[in-house]
Amino acid sequence: MSHILVIGHGPATHRLLRGLRRHGHDGTVTVLSAEHHPVQHRPLLTTVLQGRLEAGMLRPEPEHGARVLTGAVATAVDTARRVVHARQGDTVTAHPYDVLVLACGARPVIPPLPGASDRTGRLAPGVTTLREVTDCDRIQGTAVTVLGGGPLGVETASALALRGTATTLVCSGPHPLHERLGGTGAALLTARLQEAGVEVLGGRRAVRREPGRLLLDDGTETAADSLVLCTGVEPEVRLARAAGIRVHHGIVVDDALRTSDSRVHAIGDCAEHAGRTVAGHESALAQADTLAAVLTGREAAHRPTPAVLRLRTHAVDVACVGPLAAFRRSGIRTVGLLDPAGRRHARLALDGDRIAAAVLLGLPEAIAAVSHLHRRGLPVPSDRLSLLLGIRSHLPPAEDDGRADSLVCLCNQVSRRQLADAWELGARTVPALVRVTRATTGCGGCTERVERLCAGWADAVGRELEPTP
Amino acid sequence: MTATLVVIGHGMVGHRLVDTLRELDRDRRWRVVVLGEEREPAYDRVRLSAYLGGRSRAELSLVAHEFLADPRIEVRSATTAVHVDRRARTVRTADGDVLPYDALVLATGSRPFVPPVPGREHGNCFVQRTLEDTDALRAAVRPGRPAVVVGGGLLGLEAAQGLQLLGMRPHLVEAAPHLMPAQLDTEAAHVLRHGADRLGLRLHCGTTVTAVNAGAHGAVRSVTLGDGTVLDADLVVFAAGVRPRDDLPVTPALRLGDRGGYLTDALCRTSDDRVWAVGECAAVRGRCHGLVAPGYRMARSVARQLTGRPDEPLGAMDTSTELKLLGVHVATFGSTSGEDGAVEMTFRESVSRYAKVFLCRDTGVLLGGILAGETGSRADLAARVGRPPAADLERVLFPDPSF
Repeated sequence: MSHILVIGHGPATHRLLRGLRRHGHDGTVTVLSAEHHPVQHRPLLTTVLQGRLEAGMLRPEPEHGARVLTGAVATAVDTARRVVHARQGDTVTAHPYDVLVLACGARPVIPPLPGASDRTGRLAPGVTTLREVTDCDRIQGTAVTVLGGGPLGVETASALALRGTATTLVCSGPHPLHERLGGTGAALLTARLQEAGVEVLGGRRAVRREPGRLLLDDGTETAADSLVLCTGVEPEVRLARAAGIRVHHGIVVDDALRTSDSRVHAIGDCAEHAGRTVAGHESALAQADTLAAVLTGREAAHRPTPAVLRLRTHAVDVACVGPLAAFRRSGIRTVGLLDPAGRRHARLALDGDRIAAAVLLGLPEAIAAVSHLHRRGLPVPSDRLSLLLGIRSHLPPAEDDGRADSLVCLCNQVSRRQLADAWELGARTVPALVRVTRATTGCGGCTERVERLCAGWADAVGRELEPTP
Repeated sequence: MTATLVVIGHGMVGHRLVDTLRELDRDRRWRVVVLGEEREPAYDRVRLSAYLGGRSRAELSLVAHEFLADPRIEVRSATTAVHVDRRARTVRTADGDVLPYDALVLATGSRPFVPPVPGREHGNCFVQRTLEDTDALRAAVRPGRPAVVVGGGLLGLEAAQGLQLLGMRPHLVEAAPHLMPAQLDTEAAHVLRHGADRLGLRLHCGTTVTAVNAGAHGAVRSVTLGDGTVLDADLVVFAAGVRPRDDLPVTPALRLGDRGGYLTDALCRTSDDRVWAVGECAAVRGRCHGLVAPGYRMARSVARQLTGRPDEPLGAMDTSTELKLLGVHVATFGSTSGEDGAVEMTFRESVSRYAKVFLCRDTGVLLGGILAGETGSRADLAARVGRPPAADLERVLFPDPSF
């Protein structure tokens, strides 16, 4: 019988606890949660911003069998004595462990922008990052500027514009997501965002925050009752580093998610596996699953999930699969599609007849088909035009056998398991499930099934959630 | 009763017109006077690079013995027209002859455009438009020595390749960011560039020559580029495009196109119903065409009109090109303008081959495309223009796939 101590209470922890329970972990589990509120489905934050989801709906299932200490901030890890020191309010506490799991997540990078934060790093009034559900409430006023051209910046700006806020997106690259999408795709993304009501100011840097506005390096300024900093995140590694655990960009882990200290594991955004860190939601959940198996004595090794970027915005569908470097590898055939009038664009890197990488914009059905082929390593049909312009015949028929990994939404390749995961992490309505998973947003043929699943799970509240194999 | 046709210009298109007229004029209605400015009657100007490489004048000649022997045709070589009087319907030559006409065809062609660069008048600065230009250029070739070709279009590339084959070490300077900007997109030009690199041609794209510098004897020694680079050069070839020759004094003057050339309708008719313009000097519905294929279509159209045959107005001109340059096959077919919201599909394999096709956004019909490297043949693809692309389009573009 062993005692597992977990630092951090995000989606990865939530998933780990469930896995431990499923695998029949017979020891005790304690979670140190710095927050006073429970874990959230972070991808849903922009949906809250749009005003389409009540913040309260993000509450996940309570944990069974784990002791969760809220407001408990871990201050030091003593790996020699196997104890974690923490502060809970004014009280200093000590938490011994047999096994320690670091699930500290990532924290927003605050750019050195005069006027945005004080000397201690505290954000000025009207300036916020977007990491917690309470951050949504900090975005106020009629004009908002979002700083940062990454996925979160694009999603945030798009969500704000949809709820009717005068929104400006400022990014240092020529266009948002320029490095991920390439010049053509990123220019089309800008066009789409502008159509959706977001003013996009590319190739500019912020030089100073003043109340109500943001000054830019080209001498112009944007109206900003609120300024949202979407300037990237970095893995939270401070505790690990102070404890002498090996840290590169993130906390370095092996395939068993083990750090340089054999009794300490790390999962989620704080971990660095195979050189990759902050690998995203899906990867964090997969790591939690692997660790649950490892900690209950099973053979398990984490395999990196394919790098997939999927933007959740009403302005445009964007997906990037596979490493961009694949486009430059020798022996790769690149196939591109550009529809300037329809603002649609695709780029595939083909290794033989398999997809090594792809960038797709404005092509929801092609995104579904390409993601599916990439994930399963299936050959690409020779008629790429039909594939890219979205001919359904490339997809296998729907499996409706009730298995957890059976596909519910063919267009977006959403399985029943993914829907169940989303539900568990707080997506408790059909719109919430749709925003998280994108199920139903292709042909719409699965809407009824998603509604049925959602209703079924709602009925089961209070009982054990639907078990998944 | 015969009528007199005067053709000003005995280049490829002027010659084709007369030759076609000979064939179509079965009633022997026309007597033709062709004025050629050069000493040589019509020759294949497209193959001047081959002439630079050592082909003979005879091999380039377009004029068959029967043509010169035809009593209906009078070829006046080395004869320059200096004035057209449309009221009197006469053409005056530099020799002072006055030739009356019933019909007049202007086939004056183009002249090379030499950018107004300081020093362009120095010795060993050349253009390459005529046999004589080419003779002069060839006489200046010094194997092993550097040369500079200004212009990375078709003519510039041919000139550079020609100089390379003669043992010189040419640089090529192109103002646009890539080679052949009029025909190719960036990626197709990239394939071509790879061929240039392989041959050791030194390319300088996205910059211009700002000065031609002379040595002790007034002959060129080097050129200076926009970024300050100085390239040694024993000779300079300007191949920076051509301009229509529309400056022959005509009274009253004929209307010109906005960008030069004698303005004509779709039947090559100028505003004077006895005067036509064909070839590179014609701005057909406002647009000049620098390729020989559209010129030949114009020649045929006018020959048919002169012999009373019905003729379709010249619609969209086929601006297709196909050539092998620097060891690289490049071609265009159909429409490559991407107008009207066409959908583009591109296929690329490193620097070895690239293809772009334009498809109609609504119907998927193939409109045209660009090919570079080891692609399918232009003819196979051109045959598919106007039809919906088959599912095997990619296999036609990139035959013998690597997988």
